[in-house]
Amino acid sequence: MKEIVITTKFSSLTLTRYIGMYFSIAVLVVSLSGLFSKGLNLGIDFTGGFITEFSTSESIDQSDMQSILENTIEESFILSSGDDGTNWIVRQPDSSDGNTKQAWIDEMKEAPFFKANTIQIEALDSDYIGTQIGKELIDQGGLAMLTTLIIIMLYLSARFEWRFALGAILALFHDVIAVMGLFAWTQLEFNLTVLASLLAILGYSLNDSIIVADRIRELMRQNKDSTLRNIVNTAIGSTLTRTLITSGTTLATIVSLWWLAGAPLEGFSVALFAGILVGTYSSICISATFPELVGLDIDHYKVSLETENDLSVNP
Amino acid sequence: MERDIKMKHYQRNYTKPPLNRYSVWQYLVILISLIFMTLSALPNFYQDREALFISGKSSELQSIDATQIHHDLTKQGFRVELIDSNKNSSLILLKSDEQIVQAQEYLSRQLGTDFRVETTTKDTKPDWLRAISGEPIKLGLDLSGGVLFVLDVDGDKAFLERMHHIEQSTKSLLRENNIRGVQVTKSGQNKITVKSRPSLDLDVVVTEVRKQFPNLTVKYIDENKVSLFYSDIARSKFHQEIMQQSLTTMRGRIEELGITEAVVQRQGANRIRIELPGSKNPDEVRPIIGATASLEFYQLQARGGKLFESKAGEKVSVNPRVIFSGKHIKNAQAGRDELGMPLVNLTLDSLGGDKMLKFSSHNIGKPMVTVFSEYFQNAKGETEKNSKVISIATIQSQLGSRFSITNLPSPREAQELALLLRAGSLDAPITITKERTINATLGESNIENGLAALMLGVGITLVFMILWYRRLGLIANCALFLNLVCLLGLMSLLPGAVLTLPGIAGLVLTVGMAVDTNVLIFERIKEERKRGRTLSLAVEHGYKNAFATIFDANITTLLTAIILYSIGYGPVKGFAVTLGLGILTSMFTGVFISRALTNLFYANKNSSNRLGDAT
Repeated sequence: MKEIVITTKFSSLTLTRYIGMYFSIAVLVVSLSGLFSKGLNLGIDFTGGFITEFSTSESIDQSDMQSILENTIEESFILSSGDDGTNWIVRQPDSSDGNTKQAWIDEMKEAPFFKANTIQIEALDSDYIGTQIGKELIDQGGLAMLTTLIIIMLYLSARFEWRFALGAILALFHDVIAVMGLFAWTQLEFNLTVLASLLAILGYSLNDSIIVADRIRELMRQNKDSTLRNIVNTAIGSTLTRTLITSGTTLATIVSLWWLAGAPLEGFSVALFAGILVGTYSSICISATFPELVGLDIDHYKVSLETENDLSVNP
Repeated sequence: MERDIKMKHYQRNYTKPPLNRYSVWQYLVILISLIFMTLSALPNFYQDREALFISGKSSELQSIDATQIHHDLTKQGFRVELIDSNKNSSLILLKSDEQIVQAQEYLSRQLGTDFRVETTTKDTKPDWLRAISGEPIKLGLDLSGGVLFVLDVDGDKAFLERMHHIEQSTKSLLRENNIRGVQVTKSGQNKITVKSRPSLDLDVVVTEVRKQFPNLTVKYIDENKVSLFYSDIARSKFHQEIMQQSLTTMRGRIEELGITEAVVQRQGANRIRIELPGSKNPDEVRPIIGATASLEFYQLQARGGKLFESKAGEKVSVNPRVIFSGKHIKNAQAGRDELGMPLVNLTLDSLGGDKMLKFSSHNIGKPMVTVFSEYFQNAKGETEKNSKVISIATIQSQLGSRFSITNLPSPREAQELALLLRAGSLDAPITITKERTINATLGESNIENGLAALMLGVGITLVFMILWYRRLGLIANCALFLNLVCLLGLMSLLPGAVLTLPGIAGLVLTVGMAVDTNVLIFERIKEERKRGRTLSLAVEHGYKNAFATIFDANITTLLTAIILYSIGYGPVKGFAVTLGLGILTSMFTGVFISRALTNLFYANKNSSNRLGDAT
């Protein structure tokens, strides 16, 4: 009974894979157009902005101060405190009109909370603030990414086959670009935390791709008479439970973060959630399907095995 | 390589007939490393707390009535956790550290001027743990706050220094070219005038000066008078470069100090803002951040030129043209020579190496002077440049990009010099204008919610694993728990690891992915069972077959982590540490420990154990 189920499944799975492949191309186009037309809403970590310092005559709870400022400052801001809640720092993203930056301080002094508790406020300092990431760090980061990709490509080519390696790298690009596209279209703030989650997605995407590729390789060695398409489908079928369980438990954790941790981790949770979703389907629709398209053949495995043998005989 | 691993497995299988059994030493390795990791992880459960310390100002005052204070505080809405009173002092812990300042204000009002009410940090670790000097994970700026430094970069001073340098270089070029009767004067802050007798050709010198200082504007006033100055654009460009250099150097120094997750930003036109996580004692950091050190190498000259003072107080005169400066230093390591004298080994970049090679091959047997310069503030609060000759050495042979500075007074000085040189030199003097503590950017409630979210996520995972895999799920959950312990332990051991809220999330993500290892193995075991293998054979094959996959997937991610760590900076580096350690511990617990547990409690039981059916 099992055999019959699988054979009927095969054709529909193949179809799904190819549709998924075109879907992911569409996702890429949509994401890239979002990135080019709207761009990322870069956070203050990347753009720099304005920093305003003031002190209060008495120590105030950070959450109280946060809600007072939310009433006075219209744009987004980041509040932090020092000296046991008497010194306050407000960071605001850079906007074209520098004048409004000062206005809110006077407005804030009038807040009923301060009047009621007779708290004095003294503006201390207001200054332009540069990015957290210098130009040399962006260059370094780019270099790091490039080196990472090249080394992953080399390693996977050596362990598997260059077509698998390219498939995995394409899936990885797809996942990262899709998440960045989401941030471009929704204009959610892209900050250092989101960058960290992109790095996590990178690792996750690779993990998924390799596990499927590994099973394809194993099946290719065992069944040299089967067609490649059947092998890929069987490999996907037999790793599907694992893929769903791992993605499921990870998604559960992310959803609870999204739900409970709230604003500070919102961008992080959104990025991870989207990244793991696309990572899961791209491991099936791109990294397992792409090698087939560029002409992976079962013989490649025999050939590469033989060359490996040759190499090991003649060092 | 693939076949290598398989070969080993086969050997193990067939030379050791009993399946699913680890040898005693394997269990010992597991046990010892688990105990070690647990001990390292333990201090994290005893975080430092903010406490109030009450003491009488004079010794004859009677002790404080603990029950009275407890009553008063509770009435004011403070939740008291502990009051520890002895003869003349009391220590109060509140349930929430956020209330401590309000409580302090209230108590000082209440108790009057006879008592001193101070906030202190209380270490809640038990004594035996303190004895083995266990340290918790360092927390980032968002979780625990830290120290803020604002530095003033004196770009004007650096500019004056540059103009002075141009003047000196011009004079020395004239001398080298045997052109006499030329006056070089500084007029104003921003201009150098070169005036010569009629019929003298200044072009050679002017071209050379221009080559050395490309942004300098040269204007011929008449045939015999040239003025050299920086245009406004060039001057602001110079300032931008100075700021950029200072930022890069500061980032470098902080990294050299082993502090990750610091924030270094430019603030306004000429300030730098540095936020360092934790750092309860800024005294260690201050001298390194505030130092403006640079190293320059000169050629000794009989007279004229630039004058420096040696350590003994003698005057040393050198050719003002710098052979090369500290910015070409790629690496500097403190060490000792054959006689045990402290020294610093330098490695130059290719440009510096070329310069050194060219200079040394022309000047074998001649002395070279190493000058260490530092800005400091004098009693009046002005910055002054203090340059010291740290060595005059004879060039013995052609030198390339590697050589050393010898005869340093102490190993400590060698260490500090090496650190400052590694971290880059600063041309502009830097003064610390602001220094204060900063609170955590996230409130206590944010952190609590974050932790609650993580508990929930892990909880869902644990429950799911048990429902899906039954008894094997229990093993996976044990492995998961031990993985968390190991990860905490390892992160506490590493001095550079700093935990931030995204870091915690990343940590749980690695844990979520660690389940993957077990899922891969258990799915394999299920498959083997479906093929009709006996339980113990299925376990054996399941672990063996899944291992190749786990190995490939994890090695690739580990490679990524290593590259991110070696090239990345700050938050990226912190993330790479969590990711890399997470992979190591999940391999250890997911494969090694869960195998051991399976062997012990599952695979060799001859009962009718069935794997949880995934229905």
